[in-house]
Amino acid sequence: MRNFTNDNTVRRYKAHVSLVGTTQLHLRNPYIIAWWSAAFPGFGHLLLSKYLRGYALILWELLVNNMAHLNYGIIYTFTGNFKMAKEVLEPRWLLLYLPVYIFGIWDSYRTAVDMNKVFILAERENANFNSYVIGAVEVNYLDKRRPTMAVFWSFLTPGLGQLYIHRVITAIFMVSSMIVFVYFSNVLVAVQFLFMGEISKATEVLNPQWFLFIPSQIGFGVYDAYINTVENNKLYDSEQRTFLRKNYNQYRIKIPTSDEV
Amino acid sequence: MQIISTFEHSTYLELAITAIEQLGVQKSDILAVPLVNRAQERRLFDSLHRADGISLFDKGAAIGTAFAVIGASIGFQLEWGPIYWGLIGGAVGFVIGFLIDYFINKVIHRRQRVLKGKHSEVVLVINCSNELAEKVEQLLWEHLALGVAKLED
Repeated sequence: MRNFTNDNTVRRYKAHVSLVGTTQLHLRNPYIIAWWSAAFPGFGHLLLSKYLRGYALILWELLVNNMAHLNYGIIYTFTGNFKMAKEVLEPRWLLLYLPVYIFGIWDSYRTAVDMNKVFILAERENANFNSYVIGAVEVNYLDKRRPTMAVFWSFLTPGLGQLYIHRVITAIFMVSSMIVFVYFSNVLVAVQFLFMGEISKATEVLNPQWFLFIPSQIGFGVYDAYINTVENNKLYDSEQRTFLRKNYNQYRIKIPTSDEV
Repeated sequence: MQIISTFEHSTYLELAITAIEQLGVQKSDILAVPLVNRAQERRLFDSLHRADGISLFDKGAAIGTAFAVIGASIGFQLEWGPIYWGLIGGAVGFVIGFLIDYFINKVIHRRQRVLKGKHSEVVLVINCSNELAEKVEQLLWEHLALGVAKLED
């Protein structure tokens, strides 16, 4: 059940509160979006709320990167071991990587530029949108939340900050992929060695190919949760302003003058 | 009797309005005026109560992630290993990005300075009988009004 019925008179909505997530347009810096697409194909699109293509690009990246041993290549290149880098990269997969990688950066940049214009138009139109939904499996509504808590939870496990601000599908996607990264990279075993002070054993036990996904995953989880919590709060304020103007602006104040008393 | 109060945007504001309506005050006797707040000085981090959209978090997160990946890669060759170097890279990158944004926002684009602390975002005026006034005032305070004043007729 929702508190809004579309009557096809609105040209552009700026937000939508659905059972599985709050989707909203807001101003974004296209270069920052392009940067996240460069860090990990799909992240830029997730920031734009283009979730399906975001998930698809992430799965594509996981497959092709793992088959081409790209993370090994990155590690060997950064450590100056170019001979090993050349050896480890798999030519049957490597060139498949480039077009989609560059497309992801380009497409998310251009979409961010476009969606900023759409947002400005939607903001000027300031149409009512669905802001409350209750159903058999979830309840979602606009609310104010703490950006610091979103950062904290996403830092501990990427996806939890997304769950905090009710982006359920992305939260499930990120928490699940984190399980895969943690398991195949052996990172928790390595952390245990670090606690025991055995640094070289910790390095040995790590699987570099899978480990290298984790820094991007945490960085993105923190950034996405933070930025969307802030924007959610702004949306809350804006929705409440519109509501008050519409419903509580009838009364006019009469300040009593002294001769009236 | 008119009771004037100020609020921040929050669910408490709507709780206050509906509680006052349940006391018997008519909707037509309630005036809520959302204020356009003065542009604020860029703050380092956005909080629950305010945000200016241009956060000093953008470049920190971006460069932090980049440095974490680089640190983790090079860390395989270094004594402290990839986990420590990944964390160090992330922290150093975040600080660098943060300082760049800080420099751009605080030094190059200095904004007007305003008072810190809570901001009144909505002015709420209730017109009610003298008998209800005390209860209304109490409700306003209970729902976190920033300030309340009464005007006698």
